[in-house]
Amino acid sequence: MPDSAPSSTKTPVTVLTGYLGAGKTTLLNRILTENHGQKYAVIVNEFGEIGIDNDLIVGADEEVFEMNNGCVCCTVRGDLIRILSGLMKRKGKFDAIIVETTGLADPGPVAQTFFVDEEIKAKTYLDSVTTLVDARHFEQALKDGREAKEQVAFADHIILNKTDLVSPEQLDEIEARLKGLNPLATIQRAHRSDVPIKTLLNQHRFDLSKMEQVDNHDHHHDHHHHDHDHDHGHYHDNPAHGEPGHVHDEHCGHDHHHHHHHDNPAHGEVGHVHDEHCSHTINPIHDEEIKSVSLSSEKPVDGVKFTQWLDKLLAEQGQDILRAKGILNVAGEPKRLVFQAVHMILEGELQQPWRDGEKRLSRAVFIGRHLDQAALKAGFDACVVQ
Amino acid sequence: MTIAYSKSFDSYVVSALFDALDEPIVALADGRVIFPDLDAEFESHPNAGILAAVIHPTGLGIITGGDDGRVVWTTKDSGPIELAAHKGAWIDSIAAASEGQTIAYAAAKKVHVLDLLSKAQRVFTHDHSVSGLAFDPKGRKLYCATYNGVNVWFSRIAEQKPQKLYWAGSHTAVAIQPAGDFIITAMQENALHGWRLKDSKDMRMGGYPAKIKSLDFFAKGKLLATSGANGAVVWPFLRANGPMGEEASEINPQEGAMVTVVSGAAEDPLLAAGLDDGRVWIAELQSTGIDWVKAEKGGAITALSMSNEANRLVFGDEDGFVYIYEGSE
Repeated sequence: MPDSAPSSTKTPVTVLTGYLGAGKTTLLNRILTENHGQKYAVIVNEFGEIGIDNDLIVGADEEVFEMNNGCVCCTVRGDLIRILSGLMKRKGKFDAIIVETTGLADPGPVAQTFFVDEEIKAKTYLDSVTTLVDARHFEQALKDGREAKEQVAFADHIILNKTDLVSPEQLDEIEARLKGLNPLATIQRAHRSDVPIKTLLNQHRFDLSKMEQVDNHDHHHDHHHHDHDHDHGHYHDNPAHGEPGHVHDEHCGHDHHHHHHHDNPAHGEVGHVHDEHCSHTINPIHDEEIKSVSLSSEKPVDGVKFTQWLDKLLAEQGQDILRAKGILNVAGEPKRLVFQAVHMILEGELQQPWRDGEKRLSRAVFIGRHLDQAALKAGFDACVVQ
Repeated sequence: MTIAYSKSFDSYVVSALFDALDEPIVALADGRVIFPDLDAEFESHPNAGILAAVIHPTGLGIITGGDDGRVVWTTKDSGPIELAAHKGAWIDSIAAASEGQTIAYAAAKKVHVLDLLSKAQRVFTHDHSVSGLAFDPKGRKLYCATYNGVNVWFSRIAEQKPQKLYWAGSHTAVAIQPAGDFIITAMQENALHGWRLKDSKDMRMGGYPAKIKSLDFFAKGKLLATSGANGAVVWPFLRANGPMGEEASEINPQEGAMVTVVSGAAEDPLLAAGLDDGRVWIAELQSTGIDWVKAEKGGAITALSMSNEANRLVFGDEDGFVYIYEGSE
């Protein structure tokens, strides 16, 4: 049945978004021409822009449609379902799939396609939503409409591009805005989309079994509950610590005091990866419309109450909730309850047990439009076992 | 009652068909067309993949649509002949009229109708992508499954507005009852939808646990078999109202397995089904006798056809194995 296949036998799909001119085409051209030992099938929306003849480039139509399942925000990409079904027949010809969206596209339907269509879900998995941000024109893009904001809010991984075109101060301000919109995503700086290609793939951002922590850069830095003995083997293609291209993420559990001792290029330099270790220097700037709400408790939660609350919340506000992630300490349960949501689509399961001596912190992060922080906190707190 | 042929081609089997002379022809995802009886193969779409296939309207050879934007006719004697090419397009749906010399194929929102004799071409542009095509028995009308229903075009007229059979949602495949009275589509949701053509009356045919990928009218058009459940689902079209008010039957349901493809005998209530666990069975619906054609498990069956004489089956799986089964009759 669809979910039984382990993600290793499924083909990873990276969704690449970014406002007009953010550098998506440059990045795609690099992915298709560089010798990185991997073969990608690329689904693009503008055929002409990619100046390379490759039989694994496919044009898409961005056909968004509603599912007749009573879920009003349950929109999927019909063209993507067709193209992915076709590509799956040629499995073995490529290692991974990249889906480029137009600069004005809402990433929601693309992401939802991977959860709603059983066949797609059985054969592929959504690896990450990577959003390119043009440092120079980000301010303008934010003013143009909500697309640029939502692309950032939806991302797991943000590439802050064209950093050479703005001052270090401007760059820090943009990064603060990005963090304000989305505390969950890792931010990586680049000049001309020049991030190591391997860091884009195999991130497993939607894989519940790989979710160890819900990172929240927005949170206070004084409690750093990273697991120090956690091994680094989770991300196959993430180079080891200290090697070029290593992406710092929740899996590299080193103390933030070591921040200056490893080979992460300094702030503002190409390849520097902004992560929890440098978040201390940049405080998020919050947006009026899209924001994130982070909830946590050191006491266990009532699993039944929490599930009911989350179901109701997503049913009522799922249209405005872009992404949600959480790891919970359920009363009387040795395993951690992990969940994630894309609009109304919720996935949750019990994952590996809490380790001995590990601090059992329950936390959940919601990113969305017009979120009512007080109401969310009250709802969450009501699930905490007193 | 034996597997007379089995061979690995190491490429997903897109289509396995019999032509008018009951010659089996197989189309592979790596662009090859195979004639198992002759042990012949052709590179019909070099360095590309086949997405859809249909027997040529003359009954000889196979027409394939590829991700290279080409439409190719391959016969055992002449090999591949290109019928059309559209750079950058994916030809993922194709249909042939059983009368006349007309084919239709879809590339995203455009449906091309090609008269193979006069070479005349028409293009019918839709608002949304078309993912299923079917001609009526006379080849006069073309039914295009798309978002929110089916568009009906006169295949021989250039300028026209299509008639719309509306039903909200995405329709991914279409079949016409051989008498031409009913149109049935498979939907993105786990359901079929049908229209009685004389009055466009809707028929909702749901209750499936999975998406329906395979539809086949058989037994003189009196029965419709579909995939999408643990057994093959068979709908009766015995009366003027078709399946309205009738119940479907599920044939030979297997726990833990799903039927992925079905094919019935043109004249008789004889049905074959391929499963996602690699098994294949054949059922005589009147005697309720069921035989396992292939009982050992393997890659999901992706293509299956029963010969016109109903004495052979050709089928293939996602791992690239092709089999031919020969019945005792």
